[in-house]
Amino acid sequence: MRPGTKRLWVPAGLVALIVLLALLAPLLGLPDPVRQDVAQRLAGPMPGSPLGRDEFGRDVLSRLIWGARSSLAVAFASASIACLFGTILGLLGGWFRGLGEFLAVRSMDIVLCFPPVLLALLVVTLLGPGAGTLIMVLSVLYLPGFVRVTYAEVLSARSHDYVEAVRALGASAGRILTRTVLPNVAGPILVQFSLAVASAVVLESGLSFLGLGVVPPAPSWGLMIRGARATMAQAPLLLLWPCLALTLTILAMNLLCDALRDAMDPRTATARPRLRLLDRVLPGLVPPAPNAEAPEAVLEVGGLTVEIATPRGPIRPVEDVSFAVHAGETLAIVGESGSGKSVTATSVMGLLPPAARPVAGAAWLEGRDLLRLPEPELRRLRGGAMAMVFQDPMSSLNPVHRVGDQIAEAIRAHRRGVTQAQAWSRAVDLLRRVGIADPERRARAYPHEMSGGMRQRVMIAMAVANEPKLLIADEPTTALDVTVQAQILDLLAELRRETGMALIFITHSLGVVAEIADRVVVMYAGQVVEQGSVPEVFGAPLHPYTRALLAAVPDGDTAPAGIPGVVPQPHAFPVGCRFAARCPHAKPACEAAPPALEGAGEGRTVRCIRWAEIGAKKAEAVA
Amino acid sequence: MGWVARRIGVSLLLVWIVASIVFLAIHLVPGDPAELLLSSGGVAPDPGAVAELRDRLGLNLPLAQQYVSFLSGVVRGDLGTSLVDEYPVLDEILLRLPRTLELIAAGALIAVLVGIPAGTLAALRRGSAFDRIASGVAALLLAVPVFVVGTLLVLVFAQILRWMPAGGYVPLAEDPWRHLTLLALPALAIGKGLVAVVFRMTRASVLDALSRDFVRTARAKGLSPSRVLMRHVVRNALIPVLTVLALHMGTLLGGTVLVEYVFNWPGLSTPLLRAVEARDYPMVVGIVLTISALFVLLNLVMDLVYAALDPRIRHA
Ligand code: SF4
Repeated sequence: MRPGTKRLWVPAGLVALIVLLALLAPLLGLPDPVRQDVAQRLAGPMPGSPLGRDEFGRDVLSRLIWGARSSLAVAFASASIACLFGTILGLLGGWFRGLGEFLAVRSMDIVLCFPPVLLALLVVTLLGPGAGTLIMVLSVLYLPGFVRVTYAEVLSARSHDYVEAVRALGASAGRILTRTVLPNVAGPILVQFSLAVASAVVLESGLSFLGLGVVPPAPSWGLMIRGARATMAQAPLLLLWPCLALTLTILAMNLLCDALRDAMDPRTATARPRLRLLDRVLPGLVPPAPNAEAPEAVLEVGGLTVEIATPRGPIRPVEDVSFAVHAGETLAIVGESGSGKSVTATSVMGLLPPAARPVAGAAWLEGRDLLRLPEPELRRLRGGAMAMVFQDPMSSLNPVHRVGDQIAEAIRAHRRGVTQAQAWSRAVDLLRRVGIADPERRARAYPHEMSGGMRQRVMIAMAVANEPKLLIADEPTTALDVTVQAQILDLLAELRRETGMALIFITHSLGVVAEIADRVVVMYAGQVVEQGSVPEVFGAPLHPYTRALLAAVPDGDTAPAGIPGVVPQPHAFPVGCRFAARCPHAKPACEAAPPALEGAGEGRTVRCIRWAEIGAKKAEAVA
Repeated sequence: MGWVARRIGVSLLLVWIVASIVFLAIHLVPGDPAELLLSSGGVAPDPGAVAELRDRLGLNLPLAQQYVSFLSGVVRGDLGTSLVDEYPVLDEILLRLPRTLELIAAGALIAVLVGIPAGTLAALRRGSAFDRIASGVAALLLAVPVFVVGTLLVLVFAQILRWMPAGGYVPLAEDPWRHLTLLALPALAIGKGLVAVVFRMTRASVLDALSRDFVRTARAKGLSPSRVLMRHVVRNALIPVLTVLALHMGTLLGGTVLVEYVFNWPGLSTPLLRAVEARDYPMVVGIVLTISALFVLLNLVMDLVYAALDPRIRHA
């Protein structure tokens, strides 16, 4: 059973029970709810009256159940009337547009100008209290909700292909509306209907409570509460029963509304994992010692494995990833989406989503293991010694703050004693540095006032604000226009040259790699499959995947071949070589055991059991 | 600036529409409105009285002329006099409006002071005991009608515990402490539904903001968690909360009618209810018009605050 189902059926059962009780009231053999018996005034529970008698000696239980009847009758009647007329108005307005649309939809806004209770009181003044008046007012009040829902639904249906198709076949408007549009609107209308009923119960009881709704002596929960207020001191229970009945009914109806809405909108109905977002603790595995052979590396990642808890069990989108990047060097991490390259970068920064955590390996930066650093220390490094530029500059900048403030904020987070004014002028300098014209004025702009390329320049200015030793750029040009892409690449290369920082460039594009990187790490399905200097890897790829990637690049004379198949999902990684399913050279041995990452000459590694063999064959073929 | 001017223009237009509807309401009713107002329980009213009332309400004049004189009255602040005691409607409103406003302000203050921190905490601790209890309480608060809460508050705090008076009003200048004690319970009752609404919306929009890229950027900058939370999560999450607050202003204003009745708070609703019962039409029209205009005004204020919080709006 889906978790959402229970949420729907419990309140639905409760509401059904209440409705049933109200419907069956005459058949339950209850005492007459309006017969007075002054001798039994405020009497406690007695035979035949389990809840006692009220201030006129009338039976309380009977009045409760009959009260449900009048509340629900008013509520359902008004919701039904509003539903009928609202749906018709919405259909007509949505279908015919023009004046009809204006009259049907815009006129509804007028109803919304009034607080509901006030509109009701105005009408009661004119028509006098009573159930009929109530039904009329309430149906007017709920009309706009139905009109809007139907109208919106018709507008979207009009653009659907199937409606276009029947229209083209010459079906009449009426026929299309009732046959094809109505069934689609049914869901939202049902939700709207339940909302209207719940809200009508509240309003009816409120007006009756004021003595302006249902007319005494007819039983109504609002009237019962009104009556019991006078005798509150002697008989508090008399007050509690109708309060309880009313609250329970509305609660059940509200829960039913929520559940219905969730059922109609699958986005909100997904099972929510219970996670704490802020206080996440990293597990304390014994970290391997940093590699003594390459002490000058700015960042050295060794054996990094990331695990994500999912409902289907833990998955490992990154497994045993190792690489190093040195000062002034650009390292590209390349792979298709799903290869784990972004997860690798975010775990180095300590920005993994809460469900994910590094379970093995280490990431050394300036002698400290980032994976095991307590959050406060990690925070001092983030934006300081290491910084990151993200893929989509629009969503990565906060829309409600000026860009100058967002940069200044990064500066002040890492430098004590810097005033806002100093930080601001430094932010302006940085904007100038990243090539933004008129930086004084631009600093005061909001992100939505800038172009995509300019926003990415702002992101870069923010990242280099504290002269990081390491800058990680995660697909920084993917979201940008082609013409802007090259400019951003140039800017990054220039900044790296000037500051001597290490740059890790994450991309899926080999063209970008060739342009900017010194060394390249090729990732596939969470693993490093090949690593080496750019000229060597591009000149003589060793791994079949790298070969396929290079072959897929359109470089003038060869057409892009593409690689058949897709990257396997983390929960379905094969035991053996993860590329086997797509590899033209696969042998049974490849699928038997996971291939190890082997050294293949100076600074090169490759994860393929047949790389030497394949390489030799290729050489033969060329010769 | 152009946007603000346009928004104010729309508000004025809405007030005009509201006034026109209120004016038309009496003419939309089938039959003779004067007869209708005087009739009770199916007994035909005295023809002389009907003629007199028609005259008083100016119902004998042509409709257009009635409309113009009504509107010009509204603009001049002349809302006519009560049918019951000839008292000028505007004077009654001016006396009582501040008290109703005080109640609304106190209720909204409670809602914001409790709802926003609780909603934020519940979002940060999603799925924790606090989250589940607070969400449950919010669902319950939404379900209890405002007059039930009011009545139960009176029962518990005034009748059983005897901590507070059951209701009434003392001017602030006369006895500030007593004024505030008398304000506490009605303000709680008014604020109860709004607390739940603000809580729910804050929780949802904080959860949404937490997953945004710019929050990741803020963390990548090395900001402290409290700064990330305040400047980048809560600050952005407040925008949708405000929209919802504006949407619930109508319920809030309607709620004051019930709450003032329960607690004997001498705001606008006392004369309103008295007038509705006595079918005192000019008084009802005046008060409904005032509260509806207040409703439009509050929405305008919400929109302006909204624009101050969200720079994207100002340029739209
Ligand atoms: S190990 Fe086998 S399947 Fe995997 S890449 Fe090498 S040749 Fe292909």
